[in-house]
Amino acid sequence: MRRFGQLGVAVVALLATGIIAAGSLWLGGYDPLVAGRAMLQGSFGSGTAILSVTMVRAVPLIVTGLAVALAFRAGVWNIGAEGQLYAGAIAAAWVGLSWGSAPRWVLTPAVLLAAFLGGALWAAIPALMKVRLGIGEVIPTILMNFVGIYLAAFMVHGPLQEARGVFPQTDPITDAARLPVLVEGTRLHLGFPIALLIGAMLWAGLRWTHFGFQVRSVGASPEAARVSGMIESKRVLLVAFLTSGAIAGLAGGIEITGVTFALYEGLSPGWGYTAIAVALLAGLHPAWVIFTGLLLGGLEAGAGAMQREAGVPAAWVSAVEALVILFVLAGDQIRRRFHA
Amino acid sequence: MTEVLARLDGIVRHFGHVKALDGATLEIHAGEVHGILGENGAGKTTLLNILGGIIRPDVGSLEMGGTPVRLQSARAAWEMGVGLVHQHFTLVPGLSVLENLALGWRHEGRRWTLRLEEIRQEAYRLGRLTGLNVPFEASIEELGVGDRQRIEILKALLRDPQLLVLDEPTAVLAPAEIEQLFGLLRTLANEGRAVVLVAHKLDEILSIADRVTVLRDGRTVMTAALADLDAAVLTEAMVGPSSREEEEPEARVREVSSLFGQGTESLARDRALAARAVASLNGISVYGPRGESVLQDVQLEVMSGEVIGVAGVEGNGQRDLALLLSGRRDVYVGNLEIPDDVGFIPQDRNLEGLAADFDLTENVALAVHRDPEFRWGPLLRWDVIKERAKEIRSRFKVRSSDTRVLARELSGGNQQRLVVGRELSRLPKLLIAENPTRGLDLTATAFVRGELKRLAREAAAGVVLISTDLDEVLELADRIFVILRGRLTLVPAVRHSRAGVGAMMLGGGPEVG
Repeated sequence: MRRFGQLGVAVVALLATGIIAAGSLWLGGYDPLVAGRAMLQGSFGSGTAILSVTMVRAVPLIVTGLAVALAFRAGVWNIGAEGQLYAGAIAAAWVGLSWGSAPRWVLTPAVLLAAFLGGALWAAIPALMKVRLGIGEVIPTILMNFVGIYLAAFMVHGPLQEARGVFPQTDPITDAARLPVLVEGTRLHLGFPIALLIGAMLWAGLRWTHFGFQVRSVGASPEAARVSGMIESKRVLLVAFLTSGAIAGLAGGIEITGVTFALYEGLSPGWGYTAIAVALLAGLHPAWVIFTGLLLGGLEAGAGAMQREAGVPAAWVSAVEALVILFVLAGDQIRRRFHA
Repeated sequence: MTEVLARLDGIVRHFGHVKALDGATLEIHAGEVHGILGENGAGKTTLLNILGGIIRPDVGSLEMGGTPVRLQSARAAWEMGVGLVHQHFTLVPGLSVLENLALGWRHEGRRWTLRLEEIRQEAYRLGRLTGLNVPFEASIEELGVGDRQRIEILKALLRDPQLLVLDEPTAVLAPAEIEQLFGLLRTLANEGRAVVLVAHKLDEILSIADRVTVLRDGRTVMTAALADLDAAVLTEAMVGPSSREEEEPEARVREVSSLFGQGTESLARDRALAARAVASLNGISVYGPRGESVLQDVQLEVMSGEVIGVAGVEGNGQRDLALLLSGRRDVYVGNLEIPDDVGFIPQDRNLEGLAADFDLTENVALAVHRDPEFRWGPLLRWDVIKERAKEIRSRFKVRSSDTRVLARELSGGNQQRLVVGRELSRLPKLLIAENPTRGLDLTATAFVRGELKRLAREAAAGVVLISTDLDEVLELADRIFVILRGRLTLVPAVRHSRAGVGAMMLGGGPEVG
């Protein structure tokens, strides 16, 4: 019954978003049907579209979506997945470039680990501010996004810039640091199963383990968790926050090792923010994040085709994603009211 | 003839799939104090909220002064002259008392300006008139529950209501304060207003009400003048003739014995080998955020097998004493020895006892998930926890369709049963209970009190009962302490009486009378 309620909210939110999105296209003088067909074609219309575009696009969304879902479940409003992703990407590129001669079985894990730690480090600043000083995490995490984005820009203009010194990007990382392609002839890489694995681990961890239950308790009712006398809330919060940052950082590492093979300015088109839509639409449930990540990945994947064929600016998709967030938040409150 | 101020007829109201009211009626006359009685979940609070415009009935009619009305909001209700004093406090913590009072102020003709000075004068005048003395400039969070209660009442009175509705106003007051409140209510009624009052304690209703309405399972089972009734009739009306059978104390005792399980006897034997101290506080002092003294030089030794009662007017350091004893507060001066595992029934079950969005099983897990019995390595044994939750649900009569019901969907009394059941079933060596029966009905109160006593006697636990309910302390405690401005004083056994302890609660030393 409760499950159904959450699913209902997601479905209604998507329908409402679809209606308003179509309406806005129509008002803008575009043909919603043509645009919609182009979008579907570009995202789920062919094997190549699914494997090389949608699923590849979905990987960073799923991983950052999981990071956000974990934080939100612990009652930590981590809006900083974007910055944590960049921190992870910087760390990954740095390790990938400086240890370029290491064998594959050392290098790939080392690069991903660096990304993981980079994300955790980025989250550590707002996390410690929250736990030690009692400063709310929303504003610090948002601000840390800008620091992360511009730190990456600085890196590719300065210390990590390519040897030629022309473009604001790093040299490509060696083959040994790249994730293998899963299906010959497509761009689908090992990052996708890694994303699934993280999702499965989070799902099982939150549901079945002692620590996962503590995370959920702290999120569900900080007061009850504290007064239960069984939970060291600060430690639980800190670990959940850092893990969330680490997972977001890993998303940056996976993108570098799986898709771009280099760090450059504007690596992420805002995945860390879209992740909030992914997580909320999934009802903060790790298993559902996989699906909502694919859905929004498809939306972004189809945006290009839509721009080419229907002339709709791809940026319109960002507005659609924002609508999803608004409708899910509103729907959730309305559902609660009904059950109050 | 008597003038009918308000009439509610055939009121039905659902919450989700729970039917809170099922055809309730209520008629209120001008100039009367009208008591509403009923067990937990009988629908008392829902009915009051309908009267106060907070919630709307699904079915049923409402008349005010003979004309049918629809109360669309709390504001609409006050404009009709209904003042509602909530069971849970509705004060804004960041604001001063005066600012909070301003929230209830009717700005006649001047919608856009806040005239604090006018409100201050009116509030002082009303405060003097009614004896409701509150520190107007203080910030809400500095005040105890008793003060907050007075502010709530004053806030309602500022609107000059014809009909004053109070949901359990006496729960947090000391006997002398209750007397004062009742005096005030009587005065208001004599002025021709009506007062509607919910109280769990039958004797309170008996002492003040002119007429009573009894609710059971969402229906009105009786409305009558009190003069025609006695306590036995009322109790039967509340509990119902049939359920009285099944609530026979002996049946309950058998039932709960099996909850404590076969282990209990040997456990009791082990623990009772010698009555020993399970907790000791030596020269404990606690200071508040601004360095003010909250607890001063507290000496207390809790022995296994005894119930210690701590009586006092709300806000004299009980909260900190409870947190300290239960190991939830770790900043103090002095020497504190408590066992690792302390059961704790916190006062605010909505916020502190339970997580509203967790179901029964998860809420049980909240308190037990560290016990090895419920763990398997890093994993939780949800099957075992669920069994425990089922046991608690059936033994402590938590009314819910199954263990997947969320805590927020339970009525207040059922939430309390869940918390009490969870803490008792852990058989802790030390149990701290903060107002454990506040908001419970007669049956549940008797049950919980019995269980606290049993935990001490049969499982040889030390029980500390911190309660503002003097009768409860007198009934249960082996030793009674009074807490006053952070100091704990032992009450000599000769003074174990309402008058004796009550005087000490308000500052009369043990040597007096």
